[in-house]
Amino acid sequence: MKKRILAALLTMTMALGMLAGCGGGSSSGGSASGGETSADDGSKEVNLVMYVVSDRPAGQDTVDENLNKLLKEKMNTTITINWIGWAEYANKYPLLFSSGEVFDMAYCATWLNFANLARRGAFMPLDEMLPKYAPDNYAMQSETALKQATIDGHIYAVPTLLPTYITYGAIYRGDLAAEAGMTDDIDTWEEIEQFGDWLKENHPEMEVIDESASGPEMSLVWERMAGNYEIDSGNRYIFYDPSEEEPKVFALYDDPTIADFYQMCYRFGEKGFWSKSALSDTDTSKTQNGKAAIRFHNIDTWSGYTVLHPEWDFKYGVMTSEIAHLPFTQDCMVISNTSKNPERALQFWNLLTTDQEVYDALYYGVLGTTYELNEEGQFTILDSDLYSTSAMWAARTFELNRNQAGVPESYDTVRAEWEDEIQDGVGIEKYTGFVLDTTNITTEIAACQNARQQYGWPLELGYTDPVEGLAEYKQKLIEAGIEKVLEECQKQLDEYRASLG
Amino acid sequence: MQHFRNFAEEFKKNKALFAMAAPAFILVFVMQYIPMTGLILAFKSYRFDLGVFGSKFNGLDNFRYLFASGTGWLITRNTILYNLLNLITSQLLAVIIAIFITEINRMWFKKLTQSIILLPYFISWVVVGVFVYNLFNYETGMLNGILKALGRDPINMYGIPAAWPFIICAFNAWKWTGYNSVIYIAAITGVDGEINEAAAIDGATIFQRIRYITLPSIRPTLVTMILLQVGRILRGDFEMFYQIIGNNGQLFNATDVIDTYVFRSLLTNPDIGMTAAATFYQSVLCFVIIMVVNAIVKRIDEEYALF
Repeated sequence: MKKRILAALLTMTMALGMLAGCGGGSSSGGSASGGETSADDGSKEVNLVMYVVSDRPAGQDTVDENLNKLLKEKMNTTITINWIGWAEYANKYPLLFSSGEVFDMAYCATWLNFANLARRGAFMPLDEMLPKYAPDNYAMQSETALKQATIDGHIYAVPTLLPTYITYGAIYRGDLAAEAGMTDDIDTWEEIEQFGDWLKENHPEMEVIDESASGPEMSLVWERMAGNYEIDSGNRYIFYDPSEEEPKVFALYDDPTIADFYQMCYRFGEKGFWSKSALSDTDTSKTQNGKAAIRFHNIDTWSGYTVLHPEWDFKYGVMTSEIAHLPFTQDCMVISNTSKNPERALQFWNLLTTDQEVYDALYYGVLGTTYELNEEGQFTILDSDLYSTSAMWAARTFELNRNQAGVPESYDTVRAEWEDEIQDGVGIEKYTGFVLDTTNITTEIAACQNARQQYGWPLELGYTDPVEGLAEYKQKLIEAGIEKVLEECQKQLDEYRASLG
Repeated sequence: MQHFRNFAEEFKKNKALFAMAAPAFILVFVMQYIPMTGLILAFKSYRFDLGVFGSKFNGLDNFRYLFASGTGWLITRNTILYNLLNLITSQLLAVIIAIFITEINRMWFKKLTQSIILLPYFISWVVVGVFVYNLFNYETGMLNGILKALGRDPINMYGIPAAWPFIICAFNAWKWTGYNSVIYIAAITGVDGEINEAAAIDGATIFQRIRYITLPSIRPTLVTMILLQVGRILRGDFEMFYQIIGNNGQLFNATDVIDTYVFRSLLTNPDIGMTAAATFYQSVLCFVIIMVVNAIVKRIDEEYALF
């Protein structure tokens, strides 16, 4: 009896010891094999671990098998793709880097706080490795893109090679607009109001403008139409005019036209263009499902809708005065600072972004099982419950990426026009490399963000009086410390401009 | 030294008891005490490559955002008031229902009632959030549907923050009462039936029996339940608030609790140090409150105190 108790106690002590061991081990992770990785000649078989953010598709096993067979053949490598689901990514993604887990590569993005994580030492610097191990990819990167991936003097990410655009505009139901006799593009507020009035009369069951709990984006469109650009995607209440010689940042409430904007919003709200309960509505697919007629969003959302519902003839009215690329770190790939095979990971990335066969195997899956191609090389997903496309959006390149069958021709022509229009280093394009460092103003930004949600959103949806509401919003932003934020933004923007020479 | 000798003697005498307590002790130590070292992050500017212990201290910087623009006071007040209100309503209703259920004689009716009351406990807040939206939606909600059918003007509930403390309290009670009443039913069943019978023979009415027999006999349970709840008085039920209120800024002044404010503020720009600071703040205040309340209870009647 006594012995058994002793044994039980011993087991527990050992279990404790193991736990303590785990804690200590994490800090030294990665350094153990540092010696052997320095020269990677591809002779050793390596399994890479990659994290992406999305829900794991049912058909992933088949896709992995096919991809690994190909990779084994081409570069003696296999890959394990781990998925962080949408329901938990906000908590789990930062934990990837703080837990000390050993993995090689991960999807990252501006919306996953790339710059913030990089500044806090989550990723491996790639200054020397990127040109050496992924030379073809490196050669294709634009100067702007590399600049965006550089934080505190080091390259921390491999940016995407598929340009995306800052364009915002009205995605609207073309079939209904034709019924209303509005055949020209709807791309001004007057036209939106006219279309809205018609909809209210003839299709009262529909919401005119798609608004939900994720918040209104009309003030962004208003500013973009006036040629102003936001300081970054997290702070869409601070703008500047990139066409000025020395742009001055300003708070939304200091725009002299903003009073008119809120009057207009109030009028739209009174007319019932959106629900009085919109901020509690968690349904974000109302336009897509035919419950709303207009949504302010980007061109990719529009192209997605056109494929889903060709019968509704979705149209896109561009409401941005000037076209520029979104930061290329909008989608990017990072190497974890715990990676044991960063060289092989970059070699894999080089192959993935230059080889159509590997790209198709990762991005679309298995030909004939998960997707098929038509004569023009456009893809169709065979069973979206099985597998649609990869969540490693950063792997897309302009050359290798395929259009989905059914995307209207205008999607390509419009983008080609934009590419012609954009001049490197001119107008907004000059500033897309700017990344705000929030280290010194975290407190103020958190408070301003809260003020925007609490006072800005209801004001923009016309729930509060346009005059009093604006005064209150301004007051709350000032209390939250927006003046310090503005000062810091101005300082960093000036420094950025000076660095361009 | 004297203490240690006493302990050693005690250990020798009750080895079996110590062995039995060991798993629980170790579990609490590993799961509750070791993670507490993480609180140190509240005073640090965290970096992934430096880790928990290597990161630099930054004083009280992480706490500043909680109190920026006066929100700290508002959300602390809201959290405490909501918890107090919920504590009183859900416990009170639970006691009343427990008494009703035990007084019901027909077995099948008793079981049926109990099951129905317990049911909401199994419904997740996500689903409740959908209920609430569909009840109070201005254009298509059920409430306004009824009002319109009666020829009255519709009410914009999302424009009246003052109504929400009551709505939230009602849903909280609806969800928790059944679950809490189970504990009271157990306590009442434990009362010796003969006392009740004797009282009945002596001519006590049903109300007198409840007042003088049932209620006093469940008093220890009630006090313990309340003390346990008071210990969490600064922890807002995040899921409930987030699912019912969500991003609706119009209602924040009346419904924002510490947990939802922290979540929203840091969602776009997460910082583990600032979250740790909020937890630290809540824990310290909780600790103070539970110590004070326990001391008061102890003064009134030592037997009821938690420790």
